[in-house]
Amino acid sequence: MTELVKGLSGEEALPTGEPVNISRRKLLLASAGATAGALVIGFGLPLGAARAQGPGAMAPGTRVPAFLEIRPDNMVRFLSPFVEGGQGIFTAMAQIVGEELDADPASFIVENAPAGDDYGVMEGGGRYTGGSQSVRSSYDTMRRLGALARQMLLQAASASLGVPIGQLTTKPGAVVHTASGRTMAYGSLAAKALDLPVPDPASVKLKDPSEFRWIGKPVERIDVYEKSVGKAIFAIDCSVDGMLHAAVQHAPRLGLTVGTIRNEAQLLAMKGVHSVHVLPGAVAVVAERWWNAKRAAEAAQVDWKEPGPDSKVRYMPADFSTAEFAEKLATAPGDGVDAEKEGDIAGAFESAGKVVSATYYSQYVRHAQLEPPSALARFNQDGSLDVWLPNQAPEMFRADISARTGLEPEKINIHSPLLGGFFGRHFLYEFANPYPQAIELAKEVGRPIKLIWSREEEFLRDPVRPMAIVRFRGALDADGMPVALEAVSACEGPTEALWGHQDGKVDESAVEGLTGKSYAFPNKRIAQLYVQNPAMIGYWRSVGNSMNDFLYETFLDELADEGGQDPYELRLHLLKENARLTTLLKSVVELSGGWKRGPFTAVDGTKRARGIAMASPFGSHTAAIAEVSIEHGEVKVHDLWQSIDPGKIVNPAIIEAQINSAVALGLSEVLLEDAAYEKGMPLARNYDMYPILPPHRMPRVHVRIVESGEKMGGIGEPGLPAVPPAVANAVSQLTGRRIRAMPLSQFKFSS
Amino acid sequence: MKLQINNKAYDVEADGDTPLLWVIRDELGMTGTKYGCGLAQCGACSVLVDGMVMRSCVTPVESVAGRSITTIEAIEEDEVGKRVVEAWVKHQVPQCGYCQSGQVIAATALLKQTAHPTDEDVMAAMANLCRCGTYNAISAAVRDLAEEEGAQ
Amino acid sequence: MRKLLFILLPVIAIAGAGVAWFVTRMPASPFDDAAPDETPSAEVLAHGEYVARLADCVACHSTPESAPFAGGLEMATPLGSIYATNITPDPETGIGGYSLADFDRAVRKGVGRDGHRFYPAMPYPSYAKLTDDDVRALYAYFMHGVEPARAENRKSDIPWPLNLRWPIAFWSAAFSQSGVYEEKAGQDELWNRGAYIVQGPGHCGSCHTPRGLAIQEKALDEGSNLYLSGAVLDGWFAPSLRGDHNIGLGRWSEEEIFEFLKTGRNEHAVVFGSMADAFNNSTQFMTDEDLKAIAHYLKSLPGNPEKDGAPWAYDPSSNEALAFGKLGETPGAQTYVAKCGFCHGADGRGQGRWIPSLAGSASSLAPDSVSSINVTLNGSARIVADGVPDSYRMPPFRNQLSDQEIADVLSFIRTGWGNSGGAVSADDVKKLRDRTDPARSEVIVLQMR
Ligand code: FES
Ligand code: FES
Repeated sequence: MTELVKGLSGEEALPTGEPVNISRRKLLLASAGATAGALVIGFGLPLGAARAQGPGAMAPGTRVPAFLEIRPDNMVRFLSPFVEGGQGIFTAMAQIVGEELDADPASFIVENAPAGDDYGVMEGGGRYTGGSQSVRSSYDTMRRLGALARQMLLQAASASLGVPIGQLTTKPGAVVHTASGRTMAYGSLAAKALDLPVPDPASVKLKDPSEFRWIGKPVERIDVYEKSVGKAIFAIDCSVDGMLHAAVQHAPRLGLTVGTIRNEAQLLAMKGVHSVHVLPGAVAVVAERWWNAKRAAEAAQVDWKEPGPDSKVRYMPADFSTAEFAEKLATAPGDGVDAEKEGDIAGAFESAGKVVSATYYSQYVRHAQLEPPSALARFNQDGSLDVWLPNQAPEMFRADISARTGLEPEKINIHSPLLGGFFGRHFLYEFANPYPQAIELAKEVGRPIKLIWSREEEFLRDPVRPMAIVRFRGALDADGMPVALEAVSACEGPTEALWGHQDGKVDESAVEGLTGKSYAFPNKRIAQLYVQNPAMIGYWRSVGNSMNDFLYETFLDELADEGGQDPYELRLHLLKENARLTTLLKSVVELSGGWKRGPFTAVDGTKRARGIAMASPFGSHTAAIAEVSIEHGEVKVHDLWQSIDPGKIVNPAIIEAQINSAVALGLSEVLLEDAAYEKGMPLARNYDMYPILPPHRMPRVHVRIVESGEKMGGIGEPGLPAVPPAVANAVSQLTGRRIRAMPLSQFKFSS
Repeated sequence: MKLQINNKAYDVEADGDTPLLWVIRDELGMTGTKYGCGLAQCGACSVLVDGMVMRSCVTPVESVAGRSITTIEAIEEDEVGKRVVEAWVKHQVPQCGYCQSGQVIAATALLKQTAHPTDEDVMAAMANLCRCGTYNAISAAVRDLAEEEGAQ
Repeated sequence: MRKLLFILLPVIAIAGAGVAWFVTRMPASPFDDAAPDETPSAEVLAHGEYVARLADCVACHSTPESAPFAGGLEMATPLGSIYATNITPDPETGIGGYSLADFDRAVRKGVGRDGHRFYPAMPYPSYAKLTDDDVRALYAYFMHGVEPARAENRKSDIPWPLNLRWPIAFWSAAFSQSGVYEEKAGQDELWNRGAYIVQGPGHCGSCHTPRGLAIQEKALDEGSNLYLSGAVLDGWFAPSLRGDHNIGLGRWSEEEIFEFLKTGRNEHAVVFGSMADAFNNSTQFMTDEDLKAIAHYLKSLPGNPEKDGAPWAYDPSSNEALAFGKLGETPGAQTYVAKCGFCHGADGRGQGRWIPSLAGSASSLAPDSVSSINVTLNGSARIVADGVPDSYRMPPFRNQLSDQEIADVLSFIRTGWGNSGGAVSADDVKKLRDRTDPARSEVIVLQMR
């Protein structure tokens, strides 16, 4: 986007030509009735200039021109620090900034911001899109940004109208001088405001929430039209002049390298093929068209070499199978490292009326975002490098590219198009992203390269959500009430997979969801037993919670049953000191029409049951109830009720959509998904053998938002973790068969 | 080979067995039609051929030469397509949006063929995958369109 | 992994146990007194390699993970798995110590150097027809054209006493007509060449000829009208290669047969199932002359209209079931629209030569439904023609459709568009689901060097 700003500001076009397809903005502008060239009388500085002032000059999130541009037609262009990938962050940002700026979110054109210090707006610095952090970690900063911009417009109007600033106010999109009845549209003030210094952030006052016009309202999303007519641009859609296409064939197992390509001459002779390249762990073909590149890459007959003894790369052995690995996890020696400990666990088990022990299992799952990964790399004559790539953390990717290429970060322009779904897929995982390959190929070929991973190559390199075996023990007192709980999870967490495991340390991302529960167990111990995985591990939507809440909440039902307790009553009992969660739990029960565990016969004659579960992921709290039956031996989920308490909210419509989305993914995980390996290879390389939730298995979803007013929590991920256990608990109740593993498709049920 | 896309004639060079998808995206530069699986599993690549939905990733370009192809880029030029897009906006269907070109095409094809789809029709026609889980919004939009049509 | 459902019944001959000399005797070979091995000419090596292609040795004696011809392919039998052996010239684990006569006995008689009898998974009843010349060249190729690879042979998983090999001697004696192919008078050269390849090295009858109770092929040449009349093996229905209109080659011209064997496809069909392996590893490497000869020979085999039934004709009325508003009325119609129609067409006629027609296909017309079920559950292996993988592949649906859904959609297909294969039951699907594996989606090119 950088050169777009330059181009539109009348600067020289880049020597290798303008990106042709990065024209989402032009298109928007065209649709707004303007023509390119005339319109960007920027409110703000061109981004390059904004960045050139260097880091540290102003606090991140305060340099208004780095974020905002107001056009003569009053449209507001906003560069979002957070990447849009379906979670609605662009709309949320437009609401938050627009609220304080006093500009209708509908007048916003939002794009992803490039890499740069100005955008490190998260609490504690930096920024990435993940952990359901975007809104909650930048809420105040982004509000202040809007307020600062409004202040600058007021100042400009004050000068133009020659009235004291104190007499001015705003209405959406305009400054108003009530006394004289004069108004000035923001668009007419933008050029002036440009020259003003940004006021001291402490000088602006934020609105009282009672005055909110857009925050807290179901404002329409600003991107749905473009996304409904195929005009939204994803990384895979980008193109630049002179570009060639590339495809790869990855080594069948991580860690192998290219020995020889037996049929290189044949590949070179194939239609449209430009060149064949050996890359680390892959063979690449560059061609005029992607299809030609893909066919040739597939046709490559490669003798793969096992890694040498000094290889540092994660290695997938030829005999690895997930079935055997599950065994290994289950029998891994040791008791783990404490993640959470309270009370006297040994004593509690000794004096227990009854001890319940069970082993629970969660599987590897894939991100399976619908957009296959791609990257477009272009070296420019001025020594700079442009890279278009799906990513959740532009600065991290820029730093990595800088390390790979030796280029100064300032010479690297990171473009972050819309993400065709992400769910944690687009972080910096070793050997899991196409951009290093695209950059290498662009360098070797001397032309811009767009590389797309076919779905098959993607499923070979997509980092999986961890699998875990959790050994549970629960102690019940004489009345069947649980008094102690121990969970030891044999698992490798994504954070340690990425940054390295430290002996004696727990990876929080491996155990969250076992930890952080609010149930009042007087004695508890949660521990992690680290076992390294040959498969690369990644963050997946709601990370550790995506499996751990399943593991924990289903065992909690097992404990309830063993103690003769109703699982809902037991949860209420364990939460009786916690008003917030008690309210939440009761709200979902109320939403579902009252607690009815079943089995019962529904009006259509099917036998059904309900299950309940809770989760506290990413600063929010959720409770879910699922109603299931068995149809043709398969679990059918009819209804899913979910209450969420995120403290405070920005857009209830987006929350509802995100809950629907998280429910779909959670159901997909519990009903269908299993990224199994045999002989070191994933059994599924496409959606054929790795089915994800199809439309006909989507239940009715009922959402209630409980706004407790507590600290703001996340939205994108929290809707997922309570879903799998709610379903599994319902199935256990319905079938009388204890469910201790996902996915349910591995079991046959009789109707 | 001659192709008729969105009422425009194109001459394309690709081999006859090249999937239509890649001709549309790479050779003709229309990127609204998406690649998700290349295996007829997801529906992201759906286009209309003579008004019927086809998955362009498994359509050898040779087999549609001379037939009338409509891609998402021209969907609003179709009366039904235009209403589908309106319903998509009204029901705020898209999330990441990647699957939505295909969803809109699938819904358009369905409603062009039957104004009053049955549940089975909807189930068979709206089988495209959406990893973001917009299924309920899609059904609401399709139901809305079917009823609207019924009222006419 | 392929699971050959090779139904071997060693019990058949246990009754004849007494005659020890018979079962341990070494059959004679014309090469018994041959001069010791010499370094063969390039021409002989090339000839031998070509015979190995004709005979498709690589398909069984290599796996994607193994060195060429180092063995290891698992073939499941109801009694336990057996494993193809190492036939590289490694002296200890392979056949490096074999003389030409030893080799000949192995290939044409099914007897190992130590006298043990091969399971008839090895098609020696067909290879028996190989000419001396071809055997000599094949031997030269394996001794000098193949890299020795150390790979221990894996013992079969068949438990004692069923693992005893000597009863097979009786089987061999009873069912294999030993003897080199003899030119048939009155037939032209092309026909004879075709007959030789089909009956001998090509061992087409192994799959396409029905087998008897003892699993022997019911006929080994055109003398019987059962020869190549279609059979079920290994979870697939191998169609008739005779002139049958429905389940055979009645509607195919010689040119179309040629095209099919050379490119893997023609207007009628695309290779799938076990034939995809035969195409990938064998038929496409045959010379045009040999392929023409095969086509010519096959077209000389008459069909059996009585067995084949009324000739198929396309019936468009089935398309009505696929129309919106009607989908609920015919079981399977909705699944067809959602899962099959995008590739095979809303009219069941496929897309040109790229995606096969289901209307009128041999597997839709065959009374036995295994191929229909198998390809739906497991998909088809990638076709690799001329080193280039096919643009399209049939995906496995085992993880997406239930037994009943597959039964319904196949019943619809096999009774629609004039197809006469008949309905499929969920039970049929379940049986095959349990004993088969999905095809691998990656491109596999078995190497011979
Ligand atoms: S890309 Fe064509 S169906 Fe998925
Ligand atoms: S909206 Fe993201 S895949 Fe459907």
